[in-house]
Amino acid sequence: MQTHIISLLVEDNPGVLTRMSGMFTQRGINITSLTVSPCEKEGLSRMTVAIEGSESELEMVRKQLSNLIEVVKVVDLKENEAIIRDLCLLKVHAKDSGARLEVMQLAESYGAKILDAALDSVTLELTEEPKKIDRFVDLMRHFGVKQLFRTGVTAIGISAGGGVEK
Amino acid sequence: MAKQKLSGAEIVVEELKTEGAEVAFGIPGGALLDLYDVLYKEEAIRHILMRHEQCAAHAADGYARVSGKAGVCIATSGPGATNLVTGLANANMDSSPVVALTGQVPTSVIGTNAFQEASTFTITMPITKHNFLVKRTEDLPKVIHNAFYIANTGRKGVVLVDLPTDILAGKAKVDLHQKETFAGYKPNIKPNQVQIKRVVEILANAERPLILAGGGVISADAAVELRHLADFLGAPVVTTLMGKGAIPENHPFCLGMAGMHGQLYANRAINECDALLALGTRFSDRTTGWQLDQFAPDATLIHVDIDTAEINKNIQVDIPIVGDVKLALSGILKLLEKKRAKKSESEWEKRIKKMHEACDSCVEDISREGASVSDILIKEISRILDDDAIVTTEVGQCQMFAAHYYMTRKPRTFISSGGLGTMGFGFPAAIGAKVAAPDKKVVDIAGDGSFLMTCQDLATCVENDIPVVVCILDNRYLGMVRQWQELFYEKKYAHTGLGITPDFVKLAEAFGCYGERVEKPEDLKDALNNAFESGKPAVLDMIVGKEDKVLPMIPPGGGITGMIGTERCKHI
Ligand SMILES: Cc1ncc(C[n+]2csc(CCOP(=O)(O)OP(=O)(O)O)c2C)c(N)n1
Ligand SMILES: [Mg+2]
Repeated sequence: MQTHIISLLVEDNPGVLTRMSGMFTQRGINITSLTVSPCEKEGLSRMTVAIEGSESELEMVRKQLSNLIEVVKVVDLKENEAIIRDLCLLKVHAKDSGARLEVMQLAESYGAKILDAALDSVTLELTEEPKKIDRFVDLMRHFGVKQLFRTGVTAIGISAGGGVEK
Repeated sequence: MAKQKLSGAEIVVEELKTEGAEVAFGIPGGALLDLYDVLYKEEAIRHILMRHEQCAAHAADGYARVSGKAGVCIATSGPGATNLVTGLANANMDSSPVVALTGQVPTSVIGTNAFQEASTFTITMPITKHNFLVKRTEDLPKVIHNAFYIANTGRKGVVLVDLPTDILAGKAKVDLHQKETFAGYKPNIKPNQVQIKRVVEILANAERPLILAGGGVISADAAVELRHLADFLGAPVVTTLMGKGAIPENHPFCLGMAGMHGQLYANRAINECDALLALGTRFSDRTTGWQLDQFAPDATLIHVDIDTAEINKNIQVDIPIVGDVKLALSGILKLLEKKRAKKSESEWEKRIKKMHEACDSCVEDISREGASVSDILIKEISRILDDDAIVTTEVGQCQMFAAHYYMTRKPRTFISSGGLGTMGFGFPAAIGAKVAAPDKKVVDIAGDGSFLMTCQDLATCVENDIPVVVCILDNRYLGMVRQWQELFYEKKYAHTGLGITPDFVKLAEAFGCYGERVEKPEDLKDALNNAFESGKPAVLDMIVGKEDKVLPMIPPGGGITGMIGTERCKHI
């Protein structure tokens, strides 16, 4: 089992998300993260899908995705050839000023932004590689995490172009 | 072309004509009044009113398989559309080009549980190649054109267009006949030349080459190329169920259908070959069996398929070629002919010719020790019908008796539900087949259980003068399930006895059809003659052994060399 990140260019039609996610469901593949957003081309959206599976499952998924009529391009992003980002918002308990200070210091060392500070909590934002966010969140659990939001990954290939245009 | 102001319904019908649709199988309803109002005046499209939407889809499917053109079916919103579902799934599984048009509630009330609303778009998404929910009348020309284009190209399949009433009623100024397609749809048809060269190298040097022909050969109209290659290479041909007809089964190099209910020697040949050229097949478990180490263990595996996603899906192959089977075959032939002259007869060819003599669907010898009444009846049908006749099948033992014993001689003359295995398919598919080929005899080889699932469309046949002949293997059982219970569940026949079935002769007569009971196989010839002579749709109730079994077979979990029930086979 390995995490794979697939970046798709799809036609921006109602139903395209259902069609795409249905393809995964039918084949029993679990999507661990999914983001959809507009992209540089009008009428197209970019989807970034993270899935867990073997190489052969990935291969199957890639082919099945390219078979979908609304999918214009499929890119299988390798970890070392892509910049991968996830955005995390979290509210951490700060039961006293000591705790608050510690949270804020740790946040700073991770490059997290302090969005709000209240008497009993601090709200933070961190945009980073998913693994680094995992570590940061683990750290924050010592203080108590009240709420956690993550957008899921989005990713961009490092080399120019890349990916198979169908 | 100048823009014209037309209603959505008019656009749909104009585009249907442009795409060459001559027939539509359907049932109207509230959501389709505007469309039917246009069809009412339309003479270029023959609309056949069916008695169930499932049959409309199967008929369109049968029409497509026989004509090679997309079949069209129409159903109203809600129950009409949900009734279509089985038929669409069936066609899509077998890569049969069908375009389905469904009515839908007005866009303003979609999602409100309006009267006769069902989310056809989401329901049919996983059982179609593509589907559309049309939201603007002006999109219709592009949508209908692409529905046909997508259904009919690449790996063929079903495209459904969901049409809300306000879109059909609304008017728009449109450019008809536009040819714009979708950026994401570029069917890959041209085979890679480097791969072709590799294949030629393998085939030229193989001592025991074998061709496995699937439905893709028929769908690509590549039967002629297949025969040339088989002749040139001295390579035997075995087929899948969907590939029946890709090569005449009386051709000395044909060994018939392989797989679970296939021919003993077709399976042997797969086991013995040293190069296997698989064409337009997805290596379903019904073909390969479940012990893959018995499937062509010594062979270099070559797989030609139009769908990339089929490559290495069920079986790992050595050389894949993605593309159209016809193009690939002509490419292979061209290089091969340059490379070497036709060889003299090899040991393998001699063995194949012997194997051919033992193939039940390849030779005309009729009854032998251990043959059941069902076996004999199908062999009789095979002898009586001419080369051009079309046989459709229901699902169950009837289907496998037909697949095993019926000698198919031409492409597009054996029509069966392969992927989905849909009881009730054969009869409405026969209707579609007869409409596509009115001059050919069309016979549905049916089971009593299956026929009861769609027999109401006898009314359609009578009303529209579609004289198909239904030959029921009447065993008073859901026979195939009973056979499994007999062989693998200690004869506990749980809910497979059909008890009191209707008098099929009277049933036929009640609809205004011809009906006759066939008590003994020797009476079949006259009965079939009477049926054809009557000029009416007909039902022949053929009484067979209640416990007839389709044998030999690969038992569940077995491999292609582990067939059981081979005592009745001719051994060489
Ligand atoms: C719609 C549908 N329901 C159930 C089945 C499961 N099934 C497969 S074969 C079979 C029995 C078919 O009986 P019949 O049509 O009488 O044919 P026979 O096997 O007796 O020749 C059944 C129930 C099916 N294939 N399709
Ligand atoms: Mg039966």
